[in-house]
Amino acid sequence: MPGGHIFRDFDHAIRNLKDEVLLMASLTRQNLERATRALIERDIELSRTVIGDDSEVDDLEMKVDHTGMEILVRHHPVATDLRLVISSMKISTCLERISDHAVNIAKRAKKICKGSDLPEVTLVEPLYVLADSLLRDAMTAFTDHNIELAEGLKLRDKELDKMHKSLISSLSQRLEEANGKSESLLHLIFVVRSLERVGDLAVNIGEDAVFLGTAQDIRHSSRKETKGPESE
Amino acid sequence: MSSEVLDQPSIKTQAEVAASVREVDFSYGSSRILKNINLEIELNKVTAFIGPSGCGKSTLLRCLNRMNDEIPGARVTKGKIFIQGEDIYHPRVDVARLRNEVGMVFQKSNAFPRSIFENVAYGLQIRGERNSKVLTESVEQALRAAALWDEVKDRLHESGYGLSGGQQQRLCIARAIAVKPRIVLMDEPCSALDPIATLKVEELIWELKSEYTFVIVTHSMQQASRVSDKTAFFYLGEVVEYDDTNTMFTNPREKRTEEYISGRFG
Repeated sequence: MPGGHIFRDFDHAIRNLKDEVLLMASLTRQNLERATRALIERDIELSRTVIGDDSEVDDLEMKVDHTGMEILVRHHPVATDLRLVISSMKISTCLERISDHAVNIAKRAKKICKGSDLPEVTLVEPLYVLADSLLRDAMTAFTDHNIELAEGLKLRDKELDKMHKSLISSLSQRLEEANGKSESLLHLIFVVRSLERVGDLAVNIGEDAVFLGTAQDIRHSSRKETKGPESE
Repeated sequence: MSSEVLDQPSIKTQAEVAASVREVDFSYGSSRILKNINLEIELNKVTAFIGPSGCGKSTLLRCLNRMNDEIPGARVTKGKIFIQGEDIYHPRVDVARLRNEVGMVFQKSNAFPRSIFENVAYGLQIRGERNSKVLTESVEQALRAAALWDEVKDRLHESGYGLSGGQQQRLCIARAIAVKPRIVLMDEPCSALDPIATLKVEELIWELKSEYTFVIVTHSMQQASRVSDKTAFFYLGEVVEYDDTNTMFTNPREKRTEEYISGRFG
């Protein structure tokens, strides 16, 4: 949005809102990275840190909602400003859920660490790398109003879905021949599931970035295309 | 309006268009205030004109019922305005009849120093209506439509000046609609009202739009976004953007519109 607002407090409030969302995204990515590392490096202490740090993300979610509400009440934003407030509040909800998935991974990691060594944990790393890149690019699309980047996320998430499906299948097979590792393998399956959900939530953030940039609502667009105009 | 005046616009007037402004220039003396304005005011819709002071929105509003005719040196220098397909600046147009068709409510409520009844009946009486039954019925109908009847029915013959500001403005709306105009023009009708009185007037506009077409000039972005279906943004005598109100306030096409409505203008 070029040019400052005539009422400078409005710019200040908008800057605060953006900063809060970006800080939240940064902490969320950090939690996800640490949870995955805790799993692969069998680091129980790091798992505990992730679980403890989640409250910061929860607090930020409430702060973003509070700041957004305050802007709506005090400044009655319109156009891009209105879309920024709406998308920030929605994105913060997605980020909070992603951080919850990081906590889930950390809790599963703790349980896996308590059992015997599980070499399969390294199999989740490519999933994490892709899920994190989706999250990073979703946030870049939001901050830079990069519609192309946002719209590409859905296709890239399909790759993550494929990897998820294949890994679940592989881990399920190993479950059948597991020698005392079945519980750990089940925990790992839930970790894989969480990473797949992170991809979905990154796509949701991308959809909010498109709404911010163009006012277009692209959610559920693939379903609408499949149904066609007659069945609508 | 003279029914013989049939200078039809080149594009056929659509049934859903209440007024059509075509390539209109307007000047006060040598000063060109409106520049090549093109607008279709939709029937039974509320159209808001927004823009900074001096942008020409009130001037265009006043062109729609030729109120500017009263100002020396003020004139439409180019283009035409059609209402229900008729060129309202044609020399044979009866201006008094035009103003029956296109009523006006002003910024400051301008109740006459007469009774509530006489205020509402005024337009009908100067049109020649003498039948007291017709007058009584019409006044009640207009006051009911203006959501004022219950508040004044027991003091119809008391002075209109005894009403509050908000009530006086609704009295002016009742007076405007008593003569059954097609279009009601409103020039900042709520700028002197408190928030509740403002909402009552807005509710009234929303309620009455099934029967009348409203064009409202307002400096309040919130009012424009609440009450109108279409919004036109004026700047330096031009219409920068004209679109559905929802679109204008969520995703305007023009940078100048976005800057103005979001408070970054200038």
